[in-house]
Amino acid sequence: MSTPEGQVFDLGYRHYDGPREGRGRARRALFVNGIRTCFGLGRGAWAKVLPILFLVSVMAPAAVLSIMAGLLGEVFADVLNLPGPQDYYQIVSPILLIFAAIIAPELLCPDRQNGVINLYLVRPLSSNDYVVSRWLAFFVVSLVFIYAGQVVLLAGLAMGSQEPLDYLRENWAHFPRFLLAGLTIAAVTTTIPLAAASLTTRRAYASLAVIGLFVVSTVVVAALNAVECTSSSDAEGSVSSQQVEPDSTSDRSVVVTFGPGGQSEFADLDTVCEPEFGIAGRWARLLDFGGIPLQVSDLIFDEYDEELTPDSEQIRLPPAVSVAWWAIVVAVPAGILWARYRRLVT
Amino acid sequence: MPPLLEATDLTKRYGSTLALDGVNFTVDRGITGLLGPNGAGKSTAMKLFLGLLIPTSGSATVMGEKPYENVMARTQLGYMPEHDCLPPAMTATEFLAHMAQISGLPPGAARSRTADILRHVGLDEERYRSIGEYSTGMKQRVKLAQALVHDPEMVFLDEPTAGLDPIGREEMLALIRRTGREFGISIMLSTHLMGDVETTCDRIIVLEGGTVTEAGEVAGFTAETETVYIDVYEDVANLLKALSTRGLEATQDGVSIAVEAVGDAEYDQIRDALAETGSRLRRLGPRRRRLSDIFRDNTE
Repeated sequence: MSTPEGQVFDLGYRHYDGPREGRGRARRALFVNGIRTCFGLGRGAWAKVLPILFLVSVMAPAAVLSIMAGLLGEVFADVLNLPGPQDYYQIVSPILLIFAAIIAPELLCPDRQNGVINLYLVRPLSSNDYVVSRWLAFFVVSLVFIYAGQVVLLAGLAMGSQEPLDYLRENWAHFPRFLLAGLTIAAVTTTIPLAAASLTTRRAYASLAVIGLFVVSTVVVAALNAVECTSSSDAEGSVSSQQVEPDSTSDRSVVVTFGPGGQSEFADLDTVCEPEFGIAGRWARLLDFGGIPLQVSDLIFDEYDEELTPDSEQIRLPPAVSVAWWAIVVAVPAGILWARYRRLVT
Repeated sequence: MPPLLEATDLTKRYGSTLALDGVNFTVDRGITGLLGPNGAGKSTAMKLFLGLLIPTSGSATVMGEKPYENVMARTQLGYMPEHDCLPPAMTATEFLAHMAQISGLPPGAARSRTADILRHVGLDEERYRSIGEYSTGMKQRVKLAQALVHDPEMVFLDEPTAGLDPIGREEMLALIRRTGREFGISIMLSTHLMGDVETTCDRIIVLEGGTVTEAGEVAGFTAETETVYIDVYEDVANLLKALSTRGLEATQDGVSIAVEAVGDAEYDQIRDALAETGSRLRRLGPRRRRLSDIFRDNTE
């Protein structure tokens, strides 16, 4: 009898007796998966195009500004009133809002549309764990996009100046400010799109709804401001004349919250408005959901008192109102999000 | 030690619809079939044991824990839903490793378990392709694999053979039998196909209209109703008398004699009775009542 030269062993089924890390591991895995999803990692090349495009768009203005400042030198840059870190969120906020509207629903809608959510919820993970992990994932991704431009800008400005270390020493206050202001913006760009995504399984619907909300609210508020300002500038000649005619000023006021204008544009608009008027336009700013974190951001950058003319206060709200309204604008969608996912297990 | 699964007065109501009506049963280790027509409450019962639903009243426990109250009780459970539950853009490998981590396995263990389980369900070759490109049969295997990837004590398979062709169905049932017998993972399997239960399950719970109408061992169901049919060419009455005097429960059923509840001893007596009467035997054989007969009796 000959012995076989080789033998195939069937290992059979091996049981797993290693560690089971339960809920903590599940939350972490969901968080990491959320971040990877946002950047299109682990998927085809096309999934990465959009995040890269957005990341480039939020950093490009910073690169351009810091190169310009470097070429012009500090004196000329001051004269031209080039936008600095305090203005940067105003400049990139449209990009941030569109990015959030398009990418955030990716974290919630497909899980419900594909039914993967049912596989998550039979594992050691509650619906709260799920929604908090997803929220945190997009919050962190938002912060990356929000801070990226500021980091490029500050690094560029420092390197463009004569003494980079002196520049950083003199402007150290920008760091805590842009970090804190970024948190307030990320809270809005995370919570509103995710709340919209919790209401539909179709990603496109959620994205359109959020873009619609931001654009419509900005345009409405801008139009209200334009009406106010036009009528108030007319009123300089004759108080009884209340001609409502949005003209070229309306374009400029759109720029206030949505365009790459920054500070100089504010001043321009402010000269048109009279302190007695503009009350409605000022309160209408509450409806500008995309602009709300920017108002809080301005407060953090101390833009409220220092650099604006007293006239400009009329398009600003009292700081406490801005902060309280920001809190509401974050809390209400957060409540919707929580309630929607709570109802998944009944 | 508490039973693997226990339903106590388990009731689930969706609005005005009563999906489960005060159901009581316990399930031990092994493969249990949950049989019943569509809408009988099979999926509802499974989802209650998994914590996807909360009972209206009563309780559903797994190893003494209520998964809808304690999420950690789900660590040792797996679930293969009836409907789609797979992300088309991910590869099978990536998806399974992710699900293993959601079940609490560290990343390294998740990867090695993924490789193991893909081999067991026969998806070794296709593991780096996107799930969206898979056939129905392959998707069913991925669904089974994600339920097993964390090596649970118990898996719930909701209509695992739905939508498969006869060969695919046979392969899936073989895989389920292997999971239960060889891997030692307890299974609750819901189906509306009697054949699935007969070939695969150790025991059966029949659900109809939200109540349990039958429960017991599959072998018991069929064995205890075994009847031997005897056809002889002539002298039926003579044989019937010989069988009766031996204490057998024999009745004439058309041209045949039916002897109820036959075991080894009874076969010997039938042989003796045939020899004694000198009957010319034409046919002798058991006819097991199939599960489908029981099922039909109940539904009619």
